[in-house]
Amino acid sequence: MSASAIIFYVIAAFLLGTGILAVTAKKIFRAAIWLLLSLVGIASLYFWMAVEFVAAVQIIVYVGGIVVLIIFSIFLTQQSGREMPGPSLQRIIFSLLAVVFGLAFTHKLIIDHGFDNAVSQPFKVAVSDIGLQMLSTTEHGYILPFEVVSMLLLAAMVGCIVIAMKSKQTTIPSPQNTEEN
Amino acid sequence: MFLKEYISDVYNGITSLLKGMRQTGYYFFHPKEIITEQYPDNRATLKLADRFKGEVVMPHDENNEHTCTGCTACELACPNGTIKIITRFDITPEGKKKKAIDTFIYHLELCTMCNLCIQACPSDAIKMAPNFEHSVYDRSKLTKKLNLPGSKVKEGIE
Amino acid sequence: MSHEKAINDLKIKSSMFSLEGITSSLHQWLYATLSPTFALLAECVIVILLAIALFAALGLVLVLMERKVAAHIQIRLGPNRVGPGGMFQTVADTLKLIMKEGLTPDKADKFLFNLAPFIVMIVAMLLLAPIAFAKGFQIWDINIGVLYLSAISSLSVIGILMAGWASNNKYSLLGAMRSGAQIVSYELSAGLAILSIVVLSGSLQISDIIAAQENGWWLFKGHIPVIISFVIFIIAVTAETNRAPFDLAEAESELTAGFHTEYSGMRFALFFLAEYINIFIVCAIGATLFLGGWMPLHIGHWEGFNHIMDYIPSSIWFFGKTIFLIFLIMWFRWTFPRLRVDQLLNLEWKYLLPISMLNLILVTIIAIFGWHF
Repeated sequence: MSASAIIFYVIAAFLLGTGILAVTAKKIFRAAIWLLLSLVGIASLYFWMAVEFVAAVQIIVYVGGIVVLIIFSIFLTQQSGREMPGPSLQRIIFSLLAVVFGLAFTHKLIIDHGFDNAVSQPFKVAVSDIGLQMLSTTEHGYILPFEVVSMLLLAAMVGCIVIAMKSKQTTIPSPQNTEEN
Repeated sequence: MFLKEYISDVYNGITSLLKGMRQTGYYFFHPKEIITEQYPDNRATLKLADRFKGEVVMPHDENNEHTCTGCTACELACPNGTIKIITRFDITPEGKKKKAIDTFIYHLELCTMCNLCIQACPSDAIKMAPNFEHSVYDRSKLTKKLNLPGSKVKEGIE
Repeated sequence: MSHEKAINDLKIKSSMFSLEGITSSLHQWLYATLSPTFALLAECVIVILLAIALFAALGLVLVLMERKVAAHIQIRLGPNRVGPGGMFQTVADTLKLIMKEGLTPDKADKFLFNLAPFIVMIVAMLLLAPIAFAKGFQIWDINIGVLYLSAISSLSVIGILMAGWASNNKYSLLGAMRSGAQIVSYELSAGLAILSIVVLSGSLQISDIIAAQENGWWLFKGHIPVIISFVIFIIAVTAETNRAPFDLAEAESELTAGFHTEYSGMRFALFFLAEYINIFIVCAIGATLFLGGWMPLHIGHWEGFNHIMDYIPSSIWFFGKTIFLIFLIMWFRWTFPRLRVDQLLNLEWKYLLPISMLNLILVTIIAIFGWHF
């Protein structure tokens, strides 16, 4: 086994271990930390594949952004330090079934189609190429999805501002409304 | 109007910060300004500020005379009972009785160096001395008698 | 995976260790005597040892420098008893910290409590990788250098949040929350300030950014917009490293010591060391982006002057610029009073962010029309 393969298996074991711990942890903050470590593991897998740009984006978006937000919301909830009760038997059975089904499905896909490891040349893409492709208007350009996504984000930001804005008249929200949110 | 205020805010903020940095930068590059006294090393040449308040003393002149009349204004002014004055009555040559101090007791261990006694004194008999090496092995040594033995009040002080 | 690919991989990875002079001859010697895998491992070990040595040296020097600068700014002398001029004060302090007992609070989350200082330290180590210390002396000249730096530096907040939560102490938790809010918001303007240099250089790679400053540093070439983004960068990184006037996360007078209240002994030393390493790293990034990294100072067509400047070794240029920026940040710390938390967020969201966005547009216009020198 080459050094590269050893590194791959180490990363994979780390990723799976932290992933399992993330769903089985009893304390919610610990679960968030395990989730974070497994996302870092995915980023290191990208580094192993020498696609640094994707790895860096993975870290910025998921680790630096989303998990930090999750941790913040955990801090703001009450009793975040308590041990949560274990899931019910029904839930355990169904989640195990889902896992087995997903595993079988993926396995079948891999067996049926196979992946040829003919890629001997490592794949190198300059960041500027990614940028150009993102904004290109040619056949395989991504200008339309890019702009659609940016519109979506703009809408989300406007929505945030509207929610956060103080309304002039002080209306007490009824319990039903808050539950829906 | 909003934009003008915004820009002037930024400008004022930056200039005031720069002003502060100029002062501290001046201190940094001028080591002569350093006021640290390296105390045990420079004990012989130690210079203290005039307004430094270390303990209350009663100055005596060369004839062993002080200016305290025993009016107890300082004792009354002291907020925590640091000063205790024991008075006696001397008989003057004319045969009159005159009030004078017998013992001026000063409890250094109680004193907070608040300077109220010095301000209360009508005849400037006591003052603050820049003396700060007060450590002793026994607390009773901190109770001091300020008038020297055999001293008397100066002529003409009422 | 085939054997050929593995070797190919190793070759690519080894070419990332771009070293020059002594380092390149060492590299060749290692590859001539050992098999590629072991040569790579040996290089890794050397790099790790150098990084740890650098950390130890930086910790000792920067803490002493901070105390001396603070003293002189406050018209004091500072440490002057241990060794000549107090030079060994930090060594004595380190020995003291090593001897101390590392306490763990009774109801703390012990695993996370012990993990947090190491996370902070590992992040600081990872940030060292793409920094060019001298000409051709760089651990990993990654092609997304600047993006890598801003991505990894966003991880350090995790260690702080972890420490604050695991301590089971209200001061620690408050400090961690403040620090999280602060780092997440100031990352934006720091990123925009970095982007303005990326726009001008047209590359994310550290070596390209330095090469673009061969005929003059960006701070001088880029007119006023680059100066504005330099100022914003310095303010934002001061906030990101949790230093005064933005040290709300560890504000002594209100939160005892913030997120590291419960830490003692060696674990506290790791937090303390990480603070100074982070200062060094952000100042090194600032020096690389705005002051030309290891590039000597060149002025227009003064051939003689430029020639003399070339004689000064590149590592001295790099460390000189970095230490100058560190001094600047220390100067801030001992001049300005601490901000209130609402003032802190106002400064970021109402002043720094809009200004840096406008500034980025100006820089882009300059870059498109080639108006810079």
